[in-house]
Amino acid sequence: MDNHTTTINRRRFLSIAGIGAASAFLASCGVAGGDAEKAKKALQVCFAQPITDLDPLSANTTVDEPALMARRLIFDTLVRRQGDAYAPALAKSWTRPDPQTWVFELRDDVTFHDGSKLTADDVVASIKKAISKTTNLSALWGSVKSAEATSPTTVTIRTDGPLGTLLVNLTLLFIPPGKRLDDPEFFRKPIGSGPFRVDSFAPSSKLRLVKADKYWGEAAKSPAIDLPYIPETSTAITSLLTGDVDAFWPVPPDQVRDVAGKSGVKVERVPSYVYFLNWFNCSRKPFTDPRVRRAMWHAVDIESIVRDLYGESAKVMDAPIPSTVFGAAPQQPYAYDPARARQLLAEAGLAGGFTTSMMWFATSGPLISQLAQSMIASWAKVGIKVEAQQVEKATWLERLNKLDWDMDLQTNTVTTGDADFTLGRLYTSKANRMGYHNPALDELLAKARGSSEQAERKTLYAQACKTIWDDAVGIFPATITTAYAVRDTVRGFTPVPSNQPDLSTVLMGG
Amino acid sequence: MLRFVLKRLAQALLIILASLTVVFLVVRVAPGDPAALILGASASPSDLADLRRELGLDEPLLSQYVTFLHGVLQGDFGSSWRLGGDALANVLDRLPATLQLSACALVVTLVVGFPLGVVSARRAGSWIDRLISVPTLLGQALPSFWVGVMLILIFSRTLDVLPATADGTVASLVLPSVTLALPFLGWLARLVRNGVLEELGKDYVRTARSKGVDSRVVFYRHVVRNMMIPVVTLLGLLVGNFIANAVIIEVVFAWPGVGSLMIDSITNRDYSVVQAAIMTITVAYVLLNLLVDFLYVKLDPRLNPEHMS
Repeated sequence: MDNHTTTINRRRFLSIAGIGAASAFLASCGVAGGDAEKAKKALQVCFAQPITDLDPLSANTTVDEPALMARRLIFDTLVRRQGDAYAPALAKSWTRPDPQTWVFELRDDVTFHDGSKLTADDVVASIKKAISKTTNLSALWGSVKSAEATSPTTVTIRTDGPLGTLLVNLTLLFIPPGKRLDDPEFFRKPIGSGPFRVDSFAPSSKLRLVKADKYWGEAAKSPAIDLPYIPETSTAITSLLTGDVDAFWPVPPDQVRDVAGKSGVKVERVPSYVYFLNWFNCSRKPFTDPRVRRAMWHAVDIESIVRDLYGESAKVMDAPIPSTVFGAAPQQPYAYDPARARQLLAEAGLAGGFTTSMMWFATSGPLISQLAQSMIASWAKVGIKVEAQQVEKATWLERLNKLDWDMDLQTNTVTTGDADFTLGRLYTSKANRMGYHNPALDELLAKARGSSEQAERKTLYAQACKTIWDDAVGIFPATITTAYAVRDTVRGFTPVPSNQPDLSTVLMGG
Repeated sequence: MLRFVLKRLAQALLIILASLTVVFLVVRVAPGDPAALILGASASPSDLADLRRELGLDEPLLSQYVTFLHGVLQGDFGSSWRLGGDALANVLDRLPATLQLSACALVVTLVVGFPLGVVSARRAGSWIDRLISVPTLLGQALPSFWVGVMLILIFSRTLDVLPATADGTVASLVLPSVTLALPFLGWLARLVRNGVLEELGKDYVRTARSKGVDSRVVFYRHVVRNMMIPVVTLLGLLVGNFIANAVIIEVVFAWPGVGSLMIDSITNRDYSVVQAAIMTITVAYVLLNLLVDFLYVKLDPRLNPEHMS
């Protein structure tokens, strides 16, 4: 027997394995030390959703809140929104020589983070890509016909018919170097012309930004910002309480009490552009009858439900879009009146009630399942039996797009803060999102999109709000109030309705 | 021996091919349209159709499968629609973090589990044996995600002694590796305990004892050392399990590894990343087991196929 040899082999093997494991362990632990020291000085900011992609025209993240917030720090846009008006950014000024032509005059002192100059060609390249590529912003760019660099600092945009919303759309058009737009590897660590440059980026995990060496506008206050993604809310809240994270939002309504009143942390609330809607499939019986839809609304005590479920974390709506959105106009609320609901149902020939269903997915919004169940319980009291269909997100989307549903409860975001983004995109007969067809509304929305007079647009959207509300295309329960939890040491953090605060003004104080 | 190696390698390749096929089918059979997830709730039907064509989703399943296998053979899993860039590169970027976590969990398991098992066996039936067996059983029984959240609540939120998430420090490795190690630690301790007890009843122990060898020498020099063989061969299985369990742990601790990436990709039907991630984990698992098979033969010549027959 070669017993002797085996023993030696085994011994040698074990010692080698031991040394190997120990050194691997030490090596893996050792790598991190220096990074942590550096990271401490950076502002640690945690949004509750991941930044998956920095490509401003990637198919899926053009309206993603965390992605937009990051892109605003890395890139610039031609114009910026300022209240109801638009302020110059890369564009110094603009004119509209005729209703279908826009001419933008660019600043000539803007450089990318690598020192190269930003010119009209870069702007034109981005516009051309926005027009040609299929993204979730395609609808906004549908009527832009061409973009041309008429001089190194002049961009001329031509539209197919008047497009009053062009300025709004441009607040979402970020300008990377034009030659790199189609290089996916470039967007792993892109350069832009914004107040921060990308230091490192791990998609869906962490983005580290460092203050740009030179910026044409107001320089960033903080030398560096880390944007980690923490999927588990309780973990994120723990990190905030222990000071590993400096700001976290949105804090879910049922977890605000874990941060409110804790030492070193303050909670600020701002009504957001995010709201709940419960659409009726207006192409499906019995919701083809507006009386039935109104009856559904009268049967639910929205005010009590929202107050009981959300407290300060949501506000009852008085328009089909949040009141902070440009174009929102307050409407007469539907009173809680079960008798009126029964009467309307009887008029529609449904005195005996009926059976229908409601679908939603669990992560669409805070406490959405509870909201759904409360509404369903109210309807049961007037004889309407609603089947609860909580489905997975992918299934929900598929059914939503196929109009394969009776009622759809979801949150929605007016990303641009302008009524066109929601009303103009979703409520036209052509869009056919909830089976509602109203030529008069189509005309209103088209006119509002064409006009560049803000006052005129406001009047037109007010009429659109009234039509949608009175026809009860859906029930619009509540706008979500975002709770921001911020540590006391943070200065210059201003919560905003878009959920995308400007982090270039934020600084760690003493 | 060569035949044995070749046979094992062929089996490994078959397992990888089979898992690739299953993953390919499962992600496509699951309801949900990637084009709809990419474009969101407000996409128009024509945009959706355009994108499906761009992604090749309108092709018949079989031709998608052929394209997929053809790409995989060249190391190309396609690009991630959600994260941008090459799918496999995205996965490999995240792999070191998962391996780091698994390595630390392995160290914790061995350093704590093995001695616990030995002590239990040495004092079998005593109060110390019972003292060890209760928590190790608990460790096996409790769901890891819950343990993770509890550890965060205790050590981060209440005591504030350890960070809850990956911040690049050594300290941030502690909670996730302990959470990951806990179920396997109990498993290893019980395995070692029962193995040692079984070993104690064997002839060579009786012979050694009857020769008058000190009982401690018999125990530590012979019995415990013999127990190391099955433990070493279990390492592969352990690391494989760590990688699989890391999927949940990584989400709880925001650990930037393959697991959290996979959850995110499955939810969003990012087919290419899911396929690349499963493939990476399968290959790691198969390779480790292959290594273990060879080691086993090397360590215990009785199992050498040439000696059998």
